[in-house]
Amino acid sequence: MHSIWAVATNTIKQALRLKIAAVFIILLIVLLPVMGLTTTGDGTLKGQLQTFVSYGLSLTSFLLCLLTIIVTIYSLTSDIEQRQIYTVLTKPIRRYQLLLGKLLGVILLDVGLLILFSAIIYTITIYTPKFINASEAQRAEADNEFFAARINLTPVEIDITQEVLDTYKKLQASGQLDEMFQDMSRKEIITQLTNQKQLEKRAAAVGRDLLWEFKNVKPTDPNGSLFIKFKYDVSGISPSDLPVYGRWFIGDYQYIRYGVQGETPVYDGVHSHSIQTFHEIAVPAHVVPKDGHLAVGFLNVPVNNTVVIFSEDPKVLYKADTFTANFIRAALLILLRLIFLACLGILAATFLSFPVAILLCLVIFLTASFSSFCLESFDSLSEGISNIYRYTVRPMILLLPQFDKFNPTKFLVPAQLLSWFLLTKVALSLVCIKAFLLFSLGLLIFSFREIAKIII
Amino acid sequence: MEYAVETLSLTKIFSDWWGRERVLAVDELNLKVSYNEVFGLLGPNGSGKTTTIKMLLGLLYPTKGKAFVLGGDGSDPKINARIGFLPEESYLYRYLNARETLDFYGRLFGLPAKVRKMRIEALLDMVGLKAVANRPVGTFSKGMARRIGLAQALINDPDLLVLDEPTTGLDPIGTRQIKDLILELKKRGKTILLCSHLLADVEDVCDRIAILYGGKIQTEGQVKELLQQTNKKQITTDAISDTAIEKIKQIIQQEQAHFDISSPMDKLETFFIKTVTTAQHEALPTSGAVSSTNISGFLSSEVSAEDILDKLVSASISEKTSSKETPTTEQVVPVETPEPKPDEDVLGKLTESSKPAETKPVEGEAARPGPPKSDKQEQIKKAILDQLTTRSPQGVPRTKDQNADSELYRGPQGGQTDNPQAGDQGDA
Repeated sequence: MHSIWAVATNTIKQALRLKIAAVFIILLIVLLPVMGLTTTGDGTLKGQLQTFVSYGLSLTSFLLCLLTIIVTIYSLTSDIEQRQIYTVLTKPIRRYQLLLGKLLGVILLDVGLLILFSAIIYTITIYTPKFINASEAQRAEADNEFFAARINLTPVEIDITQEVLDTYKKLQASGQLDEMFQDMSRKEIITQLTNQKQLEKRAAAVGRDLLWEFKNVKPTDPNGSLFIKFKYDVSGISPSDLPVYGRWFIGDYQYIRYGVQGETPVYDGVHSHSIQTFHEIAVPAHVVPKDGHLAVGFLNVPVNNTVVIFSEDPKVLYKADTFTANFIRAALLILLRLIFLACLGILAATFLSFPVAILLCLVIFLTASFSSFCLESFDSLSEGISNIYRYTVRPMILLLPQFDKFNPTKFLVPAQLLSWFLLTKVALSLVCIKAFLLFSLGLLIFSFREIAKIII
Repeated sequence: MEYAVETLSLTKIFSDWWGRERVLAVDELNLKVSYNEVFGLLGPNGSGKTTTIKMLLGLLYPTKGKAFVLGGDGSDPKINARIGFLPEESYLYRYLNARETLDFYGRLFGLPAKVRKMRIEALLDMVGLKAVANRPVGTFSKGMARRIGLAQALINDPDLLVLDEPTTGLDPIGTRQIKDLILELKKRGKTILLCSHLLADVEDVCDRIAILYGGKIQTEGQVKELLQQTNKKQITTDAISDTAIEKIKQIIQQEQAHFDISSPMDKLETFFIKTVTTAQHEALPTSGAVSSTNISGFLSSEVSAEDILDKLVSASISEKTSSKETPTTEQVVPVETPEPKPDEDVLGKLTESSKPAETKPVEGEAARPGPPKSDKQEQIKKAILDQLTTRSPQGVPRTKDQNADSELYRGPQGGQTDNPQAGDQGDA
């Protein structure tokens, strides 16, 4: 252990004294406060906070990722190339201890820097509202929709596969298929039909209503609020500033759907909102029945005189944790990512020279950062080609971590709860499995490598 | 555990990327180094010395054969804990200062903080880098880096010291110090494997040598046996009267032996050290060659460092192998200043130094009785020539043995020209 620790502290000294880390540290220390002062977002307090946290955290995460890759790889390859490793490995230290020491050093450095920068971002975020002139409404909005960690529930999905298939068969039988969908494969037609059907399910003609079913709605504070988040769209040409009036019913599903009288009251209110942006309505939490089975209903009020469409299903949100706790977990999420990259760097450095290893790690890092984009682009390829990719490139991309899927700003900006459960899940797959495998592979290569052999 | 270092048909073939064999660096090497022996591995550049050492220490894997170090595998941490290694160049972490460098290596050995601190100070003192201990080693000259490299190799008080070209880049004083250190360590029961092509260094300290060429041992044996001219005798006396010399001449003539009389010469090394020491006593300012400003300091405390190390080692000096320190013995060691007597010894050795015999294991051959003191200039010239060809007096044919080792044979000459060179590099 003492030797691991010695190597770890030496690695930290190396990163700091050779000014590798200094570049990143100075950049962030200058940029973060500047960003805090200059960001405005959409003009509201909430918008400003969201923009700052989003950019600040993304920048920190990105720069620390780069730093981790560079420090890890430099630390090991320079030891080998400049041969300090001769005097180190001839001391009573095993090779795995050397690698563990390097890894530990980089992780400790990351932890230190992450604490520093998260603290800066956190402090700026917390103090921004105090130095800004904002209306009470804006402050309340920021409190509810930013300084919180909310559980985000989506409605129970209605299975429409059978419905779509029926339509398909009907169209086929009547010979309308070719007419409607020219030169399309069956799969593509099905996809298109499904989209149509889904849109139908989310469209309400004048005077008609829509109902969504939510399960497991368990607000922690029964005296608090429940938020319904939605975005209106209308059919036909309509001035975008024209508000849509909607009457919302929120309450016990059994009662709203079947008329079974429950114990909890039902919320009933009319609201007007502009179209094509997200809005939230706050509802007292006591409307939620004990079994958590909630119904959210929307009635297209005749005043609108147009079909109201929800481009996506409304969501039910409620506070589950504080902003601070969520922020800490978001920082931990970044740390997990850094640990993975450190292990990746160690692996690359065990058999590649400095520039090549850096290049490899950057390619992997960027692919992982845009993994959903990559996956989607392969999915949208036409069937013939995609089969080749499906069994070659796709599994490889799936093996990589999906940094974009678990992006901390994705949780902090909409004040969405990043649960410990999710964090643990990411930790297990990212660190305990993927990073561990990479590190073990690196160790294997390093153990059998002839250290003093110069490879040209 | 018969030998400190033993190799069994050790072979190393370097192959290229395609696996084609390219270089036969070490070829069926059978090397045996006994405990408490100073063994010199000689050979021209590219003869496989360094490759052999790297295989011993597990930095390279042998293509064939096996190497045992201290009875085990050279990459086993338990064995490593008893080895000190100075590579062919001091590869140091540029951003650490001298003290941190030693501290880092000390921590790799798991030495307790107290012991580490004490040893680091003693070693810095010994290698004369105390004044620059807080400077990054990246700013050190080659000779200074070498010194810190040596200190690094000694931090664990090793049983086996592997030195690869220890004196490259060192000034003559540093070279001399390393040689004295090697002899001192030998006295304390350590084994030293020395790898060099500076023949004077090897000749001065080694018990046994092997000469490598093309990865094979060409000659191996005791230095004394290889170099001693058993068909000659040398007598060194104080300045005696001409009449006495005449008498001796007569006696020799009766034996019908060839003879030659001259005043003994100082070795250039000794002369150099004397000059520098005098300059230091007079406290002449020096232009920044930091390493040499401390000479008296570190030389005098060399013994103290050894002393402390001695105390650290619980086992008796005569014990050959098992002098491994245990943490329990550390309390014995309060940071005490050196006892005066050994100090004087070392200082004396280095400052008087008019007796070359003291530093040379091959005693008595360096000097020859000289003719009458008249014609001093002539005599000195002649004596220089004599000195340079000490062991090859005219007319006497070399023995078969000597011919084989003709390179080694010219040892003193090499030493006298090489050392100042090394010194230049070190000061530059």
